[in-house]
Order: sequence, then structure tokens, then C-alpha cells
Amino acid sequence: MDSIEIGLVVVGIMLFMVLIGMRVAFAAALAGMLGLIWIFWAKKGYDPTEFIWALTVAVKTAGQVPHSKIASQALSLIPTFILIGYLAYYAGLTKALFEAAKRWVGWMPGGLAVSTVFATAGFAAVSGASVATSAVFARIAIPEMLKEGYDKRFAAGVVAAAGTLASLIPPSAILVIYAIIVEQDVGALLLAGFIPGAFSAVIYAALVIGLAMTIKGFGPPVGGFTWKQRFASLPGAFPIFFVVAIIIFFIYNPFGGDAWGTPTEGGALGAFVVFLMALYRGMRWPQLKGALLETAKLTVMIFSIIWGVLIFVRFLGFADLPGVFSDWITGLDQSPMLTLIFILLAYAVLGMFMDAIGMLLLTLPVVYPAVIALNGGEMVTAADSAFGVSGAGCAIWFGIIVVKMAELALITPPIGLNCFVVAGVRPDISVQEVFRGASPFFVADALTIAGLIAFPSIVLYLPNLLLGV
Amino acid sequence: MSGHSNVLEDGSLLSRLDRGLFKLETILALVGGLAAFSLMLLAVVSVSGRNLFNQPLPGYIDWIEQAMPLIAFVGVSYTQRLGGHIRMDILVGRLRGRTLWITEFTTTFLMLILMILLVWGTWAHFQRAFDFGSPNWSRDSSLDIGLPLWPMKLVVPIAFGVLCLRMALQLWGYGRAIVSGDTSPIAVPLIEDAATTAANEAATVSGFDEETK
Repeated sequence: MDSIEIGLVVVGIMLFMVLIGMRVAFAAALAGMLGLIWIFWAKKGYDPTEFIWALTVAVKTAGQVPHSKIASQALSLIPTFILIGYLAYYAGLTKALFEAAKRWVGWMPGGLAVSTVFATAGFAAVSGASVATSAVFARIAIPEMLKEGYDKRFAAGVVAAAGTLASLIPPSAILVIYAIIVEQDVGALLLAGFIPGAFSAVIYAALVIGLAMTIKGFGPPVGGFTWKQRFASLPGAFPIFFVVAIIIFFIYNPFGGDAWGTPTEGGALGAFVVFLMALYRGMRWPQLKGALLETAKLTVMIFSIIWGVLIFVRFLGFADLPGVFSDWITGLDQSPMLTLIFILLAYAVLGMFMDAIGMLLLTLPVVYPAVIALNGGEMVTAADSAFGVSGAGCAIWFGIIVVKMAELALITPPIGLNCFVVAGVRPDISVQEVFRGASPFFVADALTIAGLIAFPSIVLYLPNLLLGV
Repeated sequence: MSGHSNVLEDGSLLSRLDRGLFKLETILALVGGLAAFSLMLLAVVSVSGRNLFNQPLPGYIDWIEQAMPLIAFVGVSYTQRLGGHIRMDILVGRLRGRTLWITEFTTTFLMLILMILLVWGTWAHFQRAFDFGSPNWSRDSSLDIGLPLWPMKLVVPIAFGVLCLRMALQLWGYGRAIVSGDTSPIAVPLIEDAATTAANEAATVSGFDEETK
């Protein structure tokens, strides 16, 4: 067998192990280890006396990966962003945000639902956790909406859908992970997520307003707030704006000159403000300890997949599988755009059964080089490319689309966790009803993704303008 | 995909070992969490030092790179105990009784073999950096302020070693369940459906807002 065939067999073994329920991180690492042993032993013609040599070399090759790949400054953004998320629950931000949103946009048609969209999106962005955000706002926003006479399916759907906006607006751990796996600038990815994330929130709000204007008795606006009351509601919600703004300013200085520091420092300062706020709101050691343990657990989970997949990637390099896959994809007798759409549809299906982080990490090492090749290569200019984006632009653009795609799975059956969590908090609303209520937002998201594909400049505007990508 | 799982307990030797190890794992995970927290404090000191006192923190990046292995590895066994490493459970979630425990035993056994190999591999990586004869016992050091790298390289095989113990205990638990055919065995993470996972997720973030208002 040549190395390509070994590569295909090992990928098959890995998929089988994932399918029978092995933890993703270990399935990837085991497949990588197995593949390395196999490839080294094959080089020696499967001589039985050389097996121990092949095993030793493979084990030592794989053994370098965890420490050397994890001890990096760029990756330190991930625990920081996760820490912000867990501290944010203790900072009293959720109710303050909802109250502020209600006072500022409650007067619009479907006002409470619009407020829910913005408050949930804002908190989701900072907490970075779609599912947990939906749980919190299911408790805060749904009772208020029901009191005003909103349809309960719709009220639940808004909360489930708005939670998905977590992944694009900075700070976004999943965009950091993407940037690291595909070896792109973390700052550029974080900046690029801002407009599509905000754009999605505006589309959601427009959808709510449209529904409120066409459906009779949808839900009354809540008005009557004075400007004084509006401004009074802002300080409680301030840390949210601070965290988003500081991360952006640490990537790009709006006042000219050098950026204020690295994204890592920006994230850490954001975390520190949220931490002070949480202390002020009564967080003490028991809550902090809980937050630290949860941070440790989630961080370890993510890092385990990262080193596991990187061991697998080490093997893929020896087997040259990504190169072969790219050649095959680019050799297909159809338009590159159609191929890209098929790839994205495959992600939509995969997302129905797999967690977003696991799915992206497992597939990107092979899929990402193929997409770049499809566009015309790393060095291609926008004018010569297949998708109308430069090589560097394509890396960013594809990342944003794929992450948006992965989040979509949170509100689609069968395992759309956001919908389950809302139904779990509200025993009077069934999961099916939440899925039904979230379906208009699914349609809106599909259109948003189509828009991002057709007009890459929506994604690339900020990185272009500010970082010259 | 699931993150959470619950683990049943009783008075047996296995369960006592499980809880004993869990105490150690919790301490290790807390060390990881505190390392993440100190990363935040470090950045605050670095930024304010640089901008307010014109005094950058020497070796800031070196310290981050030292903290990362603590954050990334020491909690690995804690996460395994709680079933926190994600996996696809759409298939195993449908299995029941002995079929389920045999499948779980098989995947855990393969994971244990992998981890034993990785303890060896990461230990070798540590050994290349460690030398009693060198200053700080160190053959390599960080770029800026020359911190020795071996202590953090040593963290990896230790954390993986604890994980091996955990997996061995889980194998024992699955093995017992295969023999007894028990539907709810102790000392292993039990699979939950999406609704239960969601309910747990909701529970971890509930309560605090209500208490403080």
C-alpha cells in the first residue's frame, strides 16, 4: 500500500471510532498515532524486527505535539474568552442588558422580541456560549413576552435563535480555533466576524418587525420610556460594550498609531472588567471556584481536541492526504462555486450530529486547503480567483461562513441544543414547538449565508479597511 | 454530542477509589482554572505597566507560554471523569445493557492504550529538555527571559498519567457492568439525551441572577 492508501484507511478507522462513541480528541490522536506507526513501518518493508523502531519513532513524533503546540501565546485567547463567559453570569449583565434593550428598542413593532434579539446577541457574544445564553434568556425574556401576549412558540424560538449569534461577534473562541488550525491571523478573523455577526442580529430584528407588522395581535410595542430612563439603563450593560470594544481596539487602534496591544491582552482586560463587575455584584469564592472549574473543564476539552487533531495532522502530512484531496476537488468537472456549496451543505448535515468545534477541527485540515485551492491558491488575487476573494481573504471569508453554518445546527433538529435547552427551562413549551418557533430564523440565516457568499465584501470590509488583508 | 454526564456512587471499593481520584482531579482542575485566571492578571499588569508606568513586564510572553500547559493539560482527567470530552453519542446513545458496556469498554480500552503511548512520548519530549548537568537542569529555555522549559514539559506526562489511572478505573467500572448486566453502573459517566444535557447546562447558569436581585 502506498501512503495515500494508508491515509484513506486510517481516516476510515478514525471515522469509525468517532461513530462508535470514542471521545473525538482521542479518536483523532489514536488514528494519528496508528497512521504514523504504519507509515514508518511500511518504509522498512514491514520487517518484523523494525516494528519497535517504527513504534518508537511514531510515539516520539506524536509525543512532541501536545506541549510544543499548546505552549503558544495565540492559544491563550481561548481560556481567556471562556473565563469571560463564565464570569459574565455573575456580573448581573443579563437582566441589565434586557432592561436596556427594552428601553431603547421596545417601542418598535414586536418590541419585546426585538429587545430579546439584541440583549441575547450581546450577552451571547461576551459569554461565547450559545446554549447557556439561551437558557438564561429563556428565564428572563420568555415570561415577559408571554405577559404581553406573544405566541409562546415564537417567544421560545427567538431566544433559541438569538443565542446562536454568539460565535461571530468578538470575543469568539471558535474563530480563534479556526484561525489557529488554518494558520491565519487571529486578529483579522475576530475583526471579520463583527459585521456579519451584527448583520445577523439586524436581520433577526428586521424579521421580527416584519412579522409583527403582518400578523395581527403579534405582540404590542412597549413604549413610554424617557431618554433619562434610557441612559440610566446603560451603565449596567456597560461591560458588554467594553469587552467587545477593547478587543477590537487591541487589534486595531481607531485613533491612529499602533494597536494598543495584542488581542490576548484585550481579552484579558475585558475579563478583568467583567471580574470586577462580578465581585461588585456579590460573586465570592464559591462562585469563583465554580467558574474556574467550569473554565478548566471547557478549556481542557477544547485543547484536547486541538492536540489530538494536531497529532492526526502530523500523520496527514506524511500521507499527503490534504494535497490529494485538493487535487481531486479542483479537478472536478463543475463550477468551483457549486463545489463550495456542496461542501457547506455537507457541513450543515454534519452539524446535525456533531458539536461545532469537533466538526471544524476534524474536517478543516483536509477541507481548508481544498477550498483555498478551489479559489485559485494562497497567492491568488481577487480578480483572478474563483470566488472573487484573494487567497488571504478567502481564508477569512470561508472561516466566517463555516462558523455561521455550524451555529445554524444549534436550531435544527434532531439535536439543536439551543431549542432543547429552551424547552428544558420552560416545561410548558415542547421541543417541537421551539423548533417551529425558530424556523423563521433558520430561513433568515440561510439567506444571510447566501448573502455572505455572494458579497464577500461584507465579511472582508473591516479586515481590509483596518488591517489591509 | 454531549459534554456533561453524571457518575453514580456507592460504598464499594471501586466507588471509593473513584471519589478519591476525583478529589485529586478536582484540585488539579482548579490549578488549571487558577492558571487561566492568573493569565488575566498577568495581562492587566503587563498592559498597565507598559502604558501607565512605561515599564513593560519582562518576559510576559514567556510566562504565558509557561501557563498554557497548566491550563491545557492538568484538568484532562477531571474532564474525562465528568464525561466532558465531547463525542458523538448518536449511536451509543441507542445501545442498552451489555452491548453498550462492551462498546464503552472497547473505546475506553483503546483510549487507554493511546494515553500510555503518549505518556511515553511526552516523557521522552521532557527528557530531551532535562539534564542534571546543565544550569537549572535545563537544556532549553524560553526566548526572552530564559525560563527553563522542562517543568512544563513534565506536566504533560504527569497529567496524562493521572488520565491513565482514570481510564483504568472506568474500564473496571465498565467491566463490572458487563459481568453484572447492570443498567446504571457506578464510577462511569452515563450517557444523557439532548434534553438532559440541556437541563444540566441550564442548571449551571441558573440561580445567581435571582439571588442577587
